[in-house]
Amino acid sequence: MQIYLPIAEVSVNVAVLLGLGGGVGFLSGLFGVGGGFLMTPLLIFIGIPPAVAVATEANQVVAASVSGALAHWRRGNVDIKMGLVLLAGGFVGSSLGVWLFTVLRGIGQIDFVISVSYVVFLGIVGVLMVFESVRAWQRQRNPAAPRRKLHQHYWVHGLPLKMRFRASKLYISALLPFFIGLFVGVLAAIMGVGGGFVMVPAMIYLLGMPTSIVVGTSLFQIVFVTANVTLLQAINNQTVDIILALFLLIGGVIGAQIGARFSARLRGEQLRILLGLIVLAVCVRVAYGLVATPDDLFALGVPGGRE
Amino acid sequence: MRATRPSALLFSAMLLALASSPAWSAAKLLVDLSDDEIAITTGFTGTELLLFGAKEERGDVVVVLRGPVRDAVVRRRERIAGVWVNRESVVFRGLPAYYRVASNRPIEEIAPPGILAANGITAGTLDVAGAADIPAALRAPFRDGLIRNKTRQGLYGYDPTGVAIQGGRLFRTTATFPANVPTGPYRVDVYLFDRGKLAARRESTLVVRKVGLGAEVFGFAHRQAALYGIIAIVVAVAAGWFAGVVFRR
Repeated sequence: MQIYLPIAEVSVNVAVLLGLGGGVGFLSGLFGVGGGFLMTPLLIFIGIPPAVAVATEANQVVAASVSGALAHWRRGNVDIKMGLVLLAGGFVGSSLGVWLFTVLRGIGQIDFVISVSYVVFLGIVGVLMVFESVRAWQRQRNPAAPRRKLHQHYWVHGLPLKMRFRASKLYISALLPFFIGLFVGVLAAIMGVGGGFVMVPAMIYLLGMPTSIVVGTSLFQIVFVTANVTLLQAINNQTVDIILALFLLIGGVIGAQIGARFSARLRGEQLRILLGLIVLAVCVRVAYGLVATPDDLFALGVPGGRE
Repeated sequence: MRATRPSALLFSAMLLALASSPAWSAAKLLVDLSDDEIAITTGFTGTELLLFGAKEERGDVVVVLRGPVRDAVVRRRERIAGVWVNRESVVFRGLPAYYRVASNRPIEEIAPPGILAANGITAGTLDVAGAADIPAALRAPFRDGLIRNKTRQGLYGYDPTGVAIQGGRLFRTTATFPANVPTGPYRVDVYLFDRGKLAARRESTLVVRKVGLGAEVFGFAHRQAALYGIIAIVVAVAAGWFAGVVFRR
């Protein structure tokens, strides 16, 4: 069955939308990421205009992360204080990001910036994830190898505004999570993602948070950051397609719940290798779109940044 | 989709009866559309419109459909450091968002270019009036790029054998509208050319509009953008929370 999407102004198959929502939702529940980094490129591949894909995906990530965040909340896996500091940065960053998005759309560079952001961040994060997880896995099989220190001290620990985060067992400057939140907020707005794929590694490797509460805390702040992106995109660009979002989230919320159950049965390192490989695959696909010679060198744009 | 064929047959029969009566001689050209409105509903996947009519024994028929006037931005990509980037862009002002020409034989055989152009029939080359401020060197390649893109989207087209004439007097043609058809008023011009000269012309109108849920959503998103955004968030939170509660058991 085909459905006409009123904001995207294209007609797509309902089964495709439900399948995409379910599949990506499953992965998002499994890995504790919003799944936006997969969904947004997939939506663009099936013919949704990039601006609509990005804004609508932010809306869908709200739903997917609410159900994930609640599941983690019940298990006590959320560091609320850390989440709020990240969120403060996230609000500033995502507002900045939507503004940037609107400007770039007006000058016809938004598709390019979306693609480049995907290639750069997915590339870096994917490679780091795979390497780190492979090393951790090898360490487990060979316990004699030297372990990483529990706490490493470097320049960031000299920053002011130190704050105690009990749930994370950390005493660090609030500026660090604030700026991580801000940076990820910009990415969230431009790429149509929750930013979990950057946030989770940043929390583990930069902040040094315990892995057990990283996913829950990340999802907690993603709910609010993507809600902010949804609102600002709706106001500035009118590109949030509520019908598209509904179909994606019907599949998405169900998939996320199933995925969350599976994640308890899989080992952390294996999970991260798998996620790393998926991230790299998307990166390669988007990069191909940038370098491959287009069929037509001329393309139609959106006049003045508006429909 | 509507059943257009029976009504077309009926109308053709009526036309035939009319054409054989003496009163007919005054009208050289009669035209009707299978519908004067295209409704974009939730299940819309594009549609076809049937245009039919009767004409004098002699002469060629050219049908031109023009969509609502819009500005079009055309961008040219260039390879920079290995990747393709949008570079120059040209804005064409006041262009029909939809433009389709159909005729019973190639239009250059029907009438000389001057007469065609005077009637706004410019299949394939589309005279772009709003492009006056564009440097001459850019005009042609960007105009061609525009037409190519629009043709690929099914919004521009020229079919030199799209008008079928039966028995010299009755004619019919089908216009296709893709799912991404622009909304707004459309103008349908039917021209009758006799030995290279315009013999008659009929104009009718057509409206493409969104109806039902889709139209409500689109209108709401544009009129009350902030409220729309808040509702989108509330729906998402409710769906996520609901799923969480359901799956807890």
